[in-house]
Amino acid sequence: MLLTGIGGQGVQLAAKTLAMAATAEGHQVLMSSHYGGEMRGGQTEASVVIADEGLRSVPILESVWSAYVMHARYWPAVADRLRPGGVVVANSTVVDELPTGDFRLFPVPAGQLAVEVGAVMSSGFVLLGAYGAITGLVGVEALVSAMRELVPPYRTQHLVVNEAALRAGAGAVTALDAPAPFGAPARSARASVGTAG
Amino acid sequence: MAPQLLQGSDAVAQAAIAAGCRFFAGYPMLPFTDLLESMARRLPEVDGVCMNAESEIEAVNMALGAGAAGARAGTGSCGQGIALMQEAIAEAALNEVPFVVFNMARGQQDYFQATRGGGWGDYRTLCFAPKDVSEAVEHTQLLFHLADQYRAPVMLYGDYLIAHTYMSVDVVPIDFGPLPPKDWALDGSLGGTGKSRQIWTWAMGKAGDPGPGPDLHWQRIAEKFEEMARVETRWESIDCEGAETVVVSFGTAGPFVEQVVGELRADGVRIGAFRPITLWPFPEAALAEACRSADRVLVFEVNAGQMIDDVRLAVAGRVPVSPLGRVSIDFSGMRQGEILTVPWIRDRVHQAIKEVKV
Repeated sequence: MLLTGIGGQGVQLAAKTLAMAATAEGHQVLMSSHYGGEMRGGQTEASVVIADEGLRSVPILESVWSAYVMHARYWPAVADRLRPGGVVVANSTVVDELPTGDFRLFPVPAGQLAVEVGAVMSSGFVLLGAYGAITGLVGVEALVSAMRELVPPYRTQHLVVNEAALRAGAGAVTALDAPAPFGAPARSARASVGTAG
Repeated sequence: MAPQLLQGSDAVAQAAIAAGCRFFAGYPMLPFTDLLESMARRLPEVDGVCMNAESEIEAVNMALGAGAAGARAGTGSCGQGIALMQEAIAEAALNEVPFVVFNMARGQQDYFQATRGGGWGDYRTLCFAPKDVSEAVEHTQLLFHLADQYRAPVMLYGDYLIAHTYMSVDVVPIDFGPLPPKDWALDGSLGGTGKSRQIWTWAMGKAGDPGPGPDLHWQRIAEKFEEMARVETRWESIDCEGAETVVVSFGTAGPFVEQVVGELRADGVRIGAFRPITLWPFPEAALAEACRSADRVLVFEVNAGQMIDDVRLAVAGRVPVSPLGRVSIDFSGMRQGEILTVPWIRDRVHQAIKEVKV
């Protein structure tokens, strides 16, 4: 999957939370990030690959099954790599014009829900909770645990609202509306690792 | 232990500590900085020491000092900083002090630097180039072992993708077997006796305790590197048997090539992939064997053509060798550029195998 947004929206933290939660649930995970030198306002993108076992993936993805869209400014770069029929979970509060195309769109008013649970800064976690529930990739409990581990000690005041945000997102959507496909068979290659010693 | 999601730099730091590294020194420089930060965070937890040096030259000489005192020591930078370290690496190779140098390179343009050495004298630097974070964890531990086994500075060739990619990995200490005691290490105990231990590049010893001198000393070191070249080559060969085309790549480019080659093989193209795991010693014999049935060898590297020299030496003119890559760096200057993608490599391999053989 690809996660996209504008720097400062918590896209990288959401990616890391998802990757850590999936690892804790026993999956093999690979995550890479791309963002500019600026702290806020620039392009931010992360990719996460989740596999049952035998993860074989390059860290720069050619195509993805799903996308997490916090903001549409950098959407075209993601759309180019979305497979036909893919899944898009988008923050409809700030995405003015929801993208259209050959994919299944799940609009989630993440910004609005975040305000409702008193977590105005945590809309990224609302959308992540929704993404986890729609795809069934990770349970909300694993996301909450991962978030608790990732929030640094000097930011613990955000733990309660972050948790509320994750749960609000998960509760706002239909669970397993678009279950993630697992187990695409990998072709077995005749690989051998050699050593002269 | 269950697998943990770790950033590559942190995984390498944990692997180094699992291997017994207790001293690390470096100067920040992306994409190496994260490794330095991880070591700074983790080494004190095991009573180790991490120094933020004032320069790369200071850092490598600190590692040399710690290694001479018998500690498992490491240092690192990216290629630009490793360039400053060459004098000390050459000295350590010739006065036989083990430590591990981590090059978290800004791309693949440091192949010559890693394999040819930039210092003076007859020496080589054992160099591993992992393809991903999991392999980096294994190589890091093996490198500390091999450094001690051969009493030589050794190198890990990582990059931005190794340093910054997160992966679920399990850092388990690996037992590579026993090593001889470090009875050469300086401990100060013989100070003032006239018989104090010496670590000296010229090995001349003292009036009352003469050493072998540079001629014998350097001959023996040359033999040691010959022995390493015989037994320490490592490689990965995928579907090379019967292949008409073999694509050679190293480090993090390997998995991209592997994916392209796998797709083509599934389409019935007789193509294989070969990846040197050790850049020095280069697995010449294994590559020659992998190319036995090939009529074309393609070299994908993200530089102007460096490893291709070693590939040409290995196949010794029996098969035409063509470059696939080029210089390619992203705008930040920290990582490989646009050519390191599956579609780019796929297009170039397609073009190459369609070309009519003359």
